[in-house]
Amino acid sequence: MTLLDLQDVSFRYPDGSIGLNGCSLAIERGTRNALIGANGSGKTTLFQHCNGLLRPQSGIVRYAGAALDYSRGGLRQLRSQVGMVFQNPDHQLFSASVQEDVSFGPINLGLDETTVRRRVADALHAVGMADGADKAVHNLSFGQKKRVCIAGVLAMQPELLVLDEPMAGLDHKMRTEFLAVLDALHAQGITLLLATHDIDFAYRWADHIHLMAAGRCTASLEAADLAECGDALSALGLPLPTVVELHRHLAAQGLLAQQPAPRSHAELLTRLETTNHGKEAACR
Amino acid sequence: MLIEQSAYANRWRHVAPAAKALFALGGFIAAFAARQPLAAMVVAGLIVSVTLAGAKVPVGRYLRVAAPALFFLGISCLSLAFSLNLDNDGQFQSLHPTPAGLQKVAEVGARSLGALAALLFLVLTTPLIDLIALLRRLKTPEVLLEIMVLCYRMLFVFSAAVHDTVTAQSARLGYATSRLALRSLGGLAANLTVQIWQRAHDLHVAAQARNNDGPLRFLEPTFANAGLDSILAAASGGLLIALAVVLS
Repeated sequence: MTLLDLQDVSFRYPDGSIGLNGCSLAIERGTRNALIGANGSGKTTLFQHCNGLLRPQSGIVRYAGAALDYSRGGLRQLRSQVGMVFQNPDHQLFSASVQEDVSFGPINLGLDETTVRRRVADALHAVGMADGADKAVHNLSFGQKKRVCIAGVLAMQPELLVLDEPMAGLDHKMRTEFLAVLDALHAQGITLLLATHDIDFAYRWADHIHLMAAGRCTASLEAADLAECGDALSALGLPLPTVVELHRHLAAQGLLAQQPAPRSHAELLTRLETTNHGKEAACR
Repeated sequence: MLIEQSAYANRWRHVAPAAKALFALGGFIAAFAARQPLAAMVVAGLIVSVTLAGAKVPVGRYLRVAAPALFFLGISCLSLAFSLNLDNDGQFQSLHPTPAGLQKVAEVGARSLGALAALLFLVLTTPLIDLIALLRRLKTPEVLLEIMVLCYRMLFVFSAAVHDTVTAQSARLGYATSRLALRSLGGLAANLTVQIWQRAHDLHVAAQARNNDGPLRFLEPTFANAGLDSILAAASGGLLIALAVVLS
């Protein structure tokens, strides 16, 4: 079932630069979606349309089948369902304390204090920051700030979480921890849409991959079929995921079966090991 | 930053800010109630001991935070102590300390020390976020609190922005000569102006994304034993005042 649907949406900024140019995109409920596009291709503009921060100048945005209502009440409803995590945490966190900042969204929803406290505690727990509730925001590391940003949005209990380049600036360990948080959210049934430049990560993680260029979505692909979509990728100057290329070479050498194509290096290595074991056993 | 570190790292970090504020208020009143310098000095000494021994604020850090205030207090006392004599034509005749001036210095100086100790006790043991929450409970106008919250948060965002820009400028020899330094400072100011504008816009968008439509409201922190702490603090504050009155 389609949760968010953009049809032929165009948006031009006041300075004349084009944000979106006839962009169409559909996000299915409960899926993991990666949006890939060069800098300036309109990813952030598209995200701001998802949350009603920007209003399309032409075209239509639908949420759960209904066209967005841009009235005060309509936006309130939408923003409680679509959570937005910005790229730079310092642009999003404006209270000095972690707990206060996370409480900002739920209080804006008009919830009572007990509910707000419970939601804040749950959200901080979900991102692994339960111990940092009383900390000052400026004393946190970059990765911790990112998590607090997510907690601030989770506390509003959104159905769709939109993350603008969440991996940018995170080291390897932080990325792994962050991915675990995302997986847990997905397991709870939250639909995820994130922007990334990392095709390998998108191939490994996402169910659907959407490609963007010059303000429009040029292709929406099933991640599992990405290996067959080299043309769509090369049109954007993107390479195939390295694991796909590696697998192709190995398959051409007869070391691995053509199908199914592995989605990650770990999967490829496991396949190689099982195949080798099989061969060694056959030799004996 | 020193104050900030101490506010988060002291032993009484989780004591209710209302209690700490009550004690500090008691200290203020005691300092003003003390008519004899000795009484004010005793009050100041007690508050300092409470800060150092009770809240375990390190002595070195305490002195470094107090140093600028003490310097200004010293200068003010000097100007009070000396009397300037001019003749009828407005020409300088003499500059000498007077007994009345010295008495005044002792009174004002001791009281100021008491009040300073009370203020330092509060800021060195209580993070500003707790103080803001306390002010909110005391029904301080919302606009003032919002400005305090944003200024406090922005202080750190901008100190990081200034640091980054200065580092980037230094890396390209921006401060190699005084002439270049002046030029770089101009660039820094211009750059920060644009950044402030951009940041303000970004924060506004982020607030909107989380359903904000006016005042910035947050959850207030809770403190265990707030009632008991406050009673104890009020009693200690009362004792300080009583001591100041008895000794005067």
